[in-house]
Amino acid sequence: MNSLRWSLVALGLLATQWAVAAEKRDPDLLPEEVSFLFGEEPTTAPEPAPRTADGHPDLSGFWKGSRATTPVGNIGKDLPGFKLPLTPAGQAALQHNLTKTIDPEALCIIGGIPRHSASALPFEIVQNSNRVVFLYIYTYFRSIPVDGRKHSQDPDPTFFGDKVGWWEGDTFVIDSVGFKGAPIWIDENANPQSDAMHATERWTRPDASHLHLDLTVDDPKFYTKKFTYSRTWLLGKPGEELKEYSCSENNVDRAHLGPGPGPIRKDGTRGYDVPPLPAVPPSPEDYEKAGK
Amino acid sequence: MRVYLAVLLVCMSASPTWAHHSFAAEFDGAKPVRLIGTITRIEWTNPHSYFYLDVTDSKGKVTNWACESGNPGALSRRGWKKGDIKYGDKLIVDGYLAKDGSKFIDARRVTLPDGRVVYGGSAGDGGPGDTGSNSK
Repeated sequence: MNSLRWSLVALGLLATQWAVAAEKRDPDLLPEEVSFLFGEEPTTAPEPAPRTADGHPDLSGFWKGSRATTPVGNIGKDLPGFKLPLTPAGQAALQHNLTKTIDPEALCIIGGIPRHSASALPFEIVQNSNRVVFLYIYTYFRSIPVDGRKHSQDPDPTFFGDKVGWWEGDTFVIDSVGFKGAPIWIDENANPQSDAMHATERWTRPDASHLHLDLTVDDPKFYTKKFTYSRTWLLGKPGEELKEYSCSENNVDRAHLGPGPGPIRKDGTRGYDVPPLPAVPPSPEDYEKAGK
Repeated sequence: MRVYLAVLLVCMSASPTWAHHSFAAEFDGAKPVRLIGTITRIEWTNPHSYFYLDVTDSKGKVTNWACESGNPGALSRRGWKKGDIKYGDKLIVDGYLAKDGSKFIDARRVTLPDGRVVYGGSAGDGGPGDTGSNSK
C-alpha cells in the first residue's frame, strides 16, 4: 500500500514537472524527439569502420543527421550565401516551383535524389557484394547494382535516376542519370532540377560512427556550372530502425496546400522569424468581428 | 502505475517524425487562434494526426473544426498517447488558421483533458517558433 502511495506521489510530481517543462519548451521539441531525429557524436574514440567479407568498407547501418550541420534541406549549403548558379531556365523553373508547385513530397510523390541527401532525415543502408540499398524514412528505396554494368542506353526517367555503383578504394561511387524533369524540387527550398541532371555521389565511412557524402551535381539545363554538396551522418543507436510510414493513408491537407516552401530565412532554412504563439490567441469569433 | 510509466517511456522513444510539408504552404502565421471545443472525431494517422472539435460561439452556433497535428510517433514521444483523448473530451487548442479560410487549423499547443500542455506541431515545418534546426 505504501509502495502504491509513493508511486502516486512520484507520478504526480513527474506529471507536474512535465507540464511545466512542456510549457517552458513550447513550442519547441522535447529532447526525446530531438534525439530521435538527430545522431550524436561518439564520446570516445570511434572504432574503425567495419568491412565486408570482400574487403570493402561496410556502409550498412541506420544513419542520422547531425544537428551541427546546417542548413538542412538546402542543396546550396556549401556555396557562398547558399547561392546556386542558376541559368535563366533554372531561374524560371525556381519561380515556377515557388509560385505554382505544391511540394511534391506533400502530395506523396517520391522526393528522389539529391533531395533525400539534402535533408538530414534518417535512412538505412543494407549492403552485400553486388548491391547497396538505401532505405528512406518515407518508405522509399533505391537499390544500386555493383556488378560492373553500365547505364541503360535509354533509361526510363525516374525520381532516383538510372544508377550504377562501383568502388574506388574505400570510396563507394554512385553515378546517376535519367531523372524525371521539372517540376521537381532538388531540396526542401524548392530549387529545381532537370532531366539533364547527372549526379555523382562519393560515399565513405571514415570510422564506425560516421558516413560521409561528397555529391557533385551537373545539370547544364538549370545550372551554369557543376556544384558540390557534402554532408556527414552519424550512426544511430542500437535498435533504432525505420518505421512504417504511409504518406497517403490520410493526406487530408493536400486539399489545403498552396505552392512553394514559404519564406526562406537568411540562414538558408525555411520558416518565419516571428514570435511564437501568444499566451491566449484570439477566438474565431474575434476574427469574424474584426472582419478578417 | 509502473506499467503506465513504462508504456509512456517506451512510446516516447519510438517511431519517426518529420515535417510532411512546410507550415507556410498551408497556414497563416499572422493568424493565431484558440479553439475550445468538444472532440467529435480522432484520426491517429500518417502523415498527420487529426482531431475534430465542435466549437460553440457566444450565440450558441456550433462549428466543427479540423485540427492538424504531428504524426502519431511524434505525439507519443511528447507524451501524448492515443488514449489521452476520447470523443466528448473538452480541449483547448492554440494554433494557426488555414490560409484557404476553411475550418482547419494547425494544432500547435494542445491542453489535454488532464491539464498537460503538449506541442502538437510538426517538427521542422518552419512555423512560428520552430527553431529551423530540425531535420526538414
